[in-house]
Amino acid sequence: MTEQLWQVHFKVHRQRTGGKPYVRTFTLDVDPEEYILDAVERIWALHDRTLTYRHACHHSTCGACGMRVNGREKLTCITTISSVTQNGGTVRIDPLRNFPVVSDLVVDMGNFFLRMDRSGFNSVAPLAAACLPYEQPLTAENSIDHEPERLVDCIECGLCISVCPAANTDKEYVGPAVLASLHLMYVQNPTQEFIDQADHHTGLWRCHSAYECTEVCPSGVDPAWRIMDMRKKVMSDRIKSIFRPRSSEKKNAQPA
Amino acid sequence: MPNQPEANNWPRWFDPRSRSLGTFGFILNRVTALGLTLYLLMHLIALGQLARGADAYDGFIALVKNPLFKLGELLVIAAGVIHGLNGIRIALNSFGIGVRCQKGTFIALMLIALFIIAFFTFKMFSEG
Amino acid sequence: MEEGGDPHAELDRIMKTTQPSAIVIGAGFTGCALAYDLAQRGFAVTVVERGELASGTSGRTHGLLHSGARYCVTDAEAAIECIQENMILRRIAKQCIEYNGGYFVALDDADLGYAPAFFQGAQNCGIPVEEIDVQRALAAEPALNPKILAAYQVPDAAFDPLRLAMAFAASARQHGAKFNTFHDVVGFLRDGIGNICGVSAVNRHAGQPVDFRADITINATGAWAGKVAEMAGISVPVRPTPGVMVAYEKRVTQRVINRLCEPDDGDILLPQRRMAVIGTTSFEVEEADYIPVYPDQVKQMHQRAALLVPELENIKMRGAYMSARPLIGGLMSGRSLSRTFKCYDHQTDEEVNGLVTVTGGKATTCRVMAEKTADLVCQKLGWQRACETAQHPLADYHLYYS
Repeated sequence: MTEQLWQVHFKVHRQRTGGKPYVRTFTLDVDPEEYILDAVERIWALHDRTLTYRHACHHSTCGACGMRVNGREKLTCITTISSVTQNGGTVRIDPLRNFPVVSDLVVDMGNFFLRMDRSGFNSVAPLAAACLPYEQPLTAENSIDHEPERLVDCIECGLCISVCPAANTDKEYVGPAVLASLHLMYVQNPTQEFIDQADHHTGLWRCHSAYECTEVCPSGVDPAWRIMDMRKKVMSDRIKSIFRPRSSEKKNAQPA
Repeated sequence: MPNQPEANNWPRWFDPRSRSLGTFGFILNRVTALGLTLYLLMHLIALGQLARGADAYDGFIALVKNPLFKLGELLVIAAGVIHGLNGIRIALNSFGIGVRCQKGTFIALMLIALFIIAFFTFKMFSEG
Repeated sequence: MEEGGDPHAELDRIMKTTQPSAIVIGAGFTGCALAYDLAQRGFAVTVVERGELASGTSGRTHGLLHSGARYCVTDAEAAIECIQENMILRRIAKQCIEYNGGYFVALDDADLGYAPAFFQGAQNCGIPVEEIDVQRALAAEPALNPKILAAYQVPDAAFDPLRLAMAFAASARQHGAKFNTFHDVVGFLRDGIGNICGVSAVNRHAGQPVDFRADITINATGAWAGKVAEMAGISVPVRPTPGVMVAYEKRVTQRVINRLCEPDDGDILLPQRRMAVIGTTSFEVEEADYIPVYPDQVKQMHQRAALLVPELENIKMRGAYMSARPLIGGLMSGRSLSRTFKCYDHQTDEEVNGLVTVTGGKATTCRVMAEKTADLVCQKLGWQRACETAQHPLADYHLYYS
């Protein structure tokens, strides 16, 4: 930690439910190695009790504190102030895009969480499945007593949906997190159900390869890779289906 | 509700602020596609001139000898090359090929595009 | 409520004609679990929370589902409670728990000296404990300090804090509970004879005042329980006792690693997704709303973490944060349902009817805290329905939004 404090101007998006948005500036003396969320919490605690924002774990495992910092989607609990500004600088804080703003920095995650639920998303997976398929698998010694498991990477923070240019114009598009979830579930349990959900014009085929989701993901999910890998699986399924009897023709399922 | 995706959000597609390389590929592909579509339209109109007889056609050909039109033609070539090469990357990615090196592929393909465009620029403008 | 009526007759009328209603202030673990418990027993439950779910202490917890072994020498009662609840939560909240077990490792002779008492204590408390050969422990967890002298295996686990709270809240909602997040309680409503009959709050999204009324109000605000009770002119001896936690960029172990010693600073290292999280310290503060992260404590955690897993010395920190435990201080006037948490019926102590406070406890024991509090509430209102929260798996946490 640095000894010297920085003076930083925080320009915060303010908005009451249904009201007009405006910007309020708070000037704080901060330790540059503090996190953006610490500054937001201090603004609420010491400067303006009416500020609303979402947060819970403060160490990137819950996904509640996603905001836009200087325009870019960030998980504010692990974004240091020094990584986005300098002494005397300005930090702009806005709510996520592509979600309805409830007030100030709070967005409504309801629709997104229900889509995640419909995709079958499960927070806990066997350790090998929780990692990305292209990552190095676990050494054998580690699983000495039992099959280890872990909480999977996706923390449902919504950053990928906020940054996605396709989600920007199509609210029916389920978004990168949901497609990554379908891929994760398919890897663990390769059933037709997940293929059918993903193979839809508001699903896999709405992605326009901007790769922003993978850029902003704070948790190493690599949604873009999962979307492309899922496309491969869907296409191979389509090719195989040519040779399948017609009775197994799939229904035109709406994705999650 | 404000900030939800809406049809009139599309100008944001072309906003490159606080975006990463992938979005530049995305923007380039959209801009070149729009340019090529526009060109196709103009091309069809130009072809329509043929039906109006020899004089009209000659007049038209004289018009397109103008250097301004040459620049336009160069833009068409550039758009075609960029869109085509970038399209190869996106198509391969969609088959799950080279997703993890998409950034490098993008830069390499755009360098190739630049080289091809430079080649055509030289060729078109040096021959007068 | 009618003013000046006979309160007993009024209560009887309510009991006979309508379902009882309750307001739960606070949507941390206790608040969410209590809302679920009461709703499942047939109450009309309204939860009032000033921020998001689990935005206070609960969300910022270490994320350790205790086996109880940490307390088996110093506080057997707490240890027994932990192991019982550990088993129950693994059954009902499997959706947000990574269950890989935990090791207690001895690093020096003092730790080794603690081992017999530890092993005996764990067995006495019913905690499945097993001594593991050091070589085997190191094979299972290659990142462990190779100088460990002994290792014991216990059924520890790591959980996702927000999702645990959400799972309880989702279950509560399925039983009809209503959640009002971003509603700041600013005062209590009183009926004609001075009993508390609800709360007045401010909807922080809209900036609008709103009142909630119910037969009983439960103050489940943990470290803030003293401040909330103060609004009713009641003193609850809660001291916010923060501790620091530091998260690292790498998941160095699959199991929870505890130092084999009496509860101390920085004695627990646990895996969480791709991270490792070390904790914690303990000091008292007056005000829990904003507690800065002190660099010297972070440094101390860093040293302690490197003792357990040397490689952490050179691994980048991902986050550092503070969480204020609700520690109960002073002489107990309230009834002690357990030594780990307290439940105050303010009718018996301060003659303020309609308000109950529950505080203290730990994340692992949130369900039983809710059960005991709901028992007290049922007893107060003469409502006879048994607790069933230990029997059924919780609803999928996503359904909080349904």
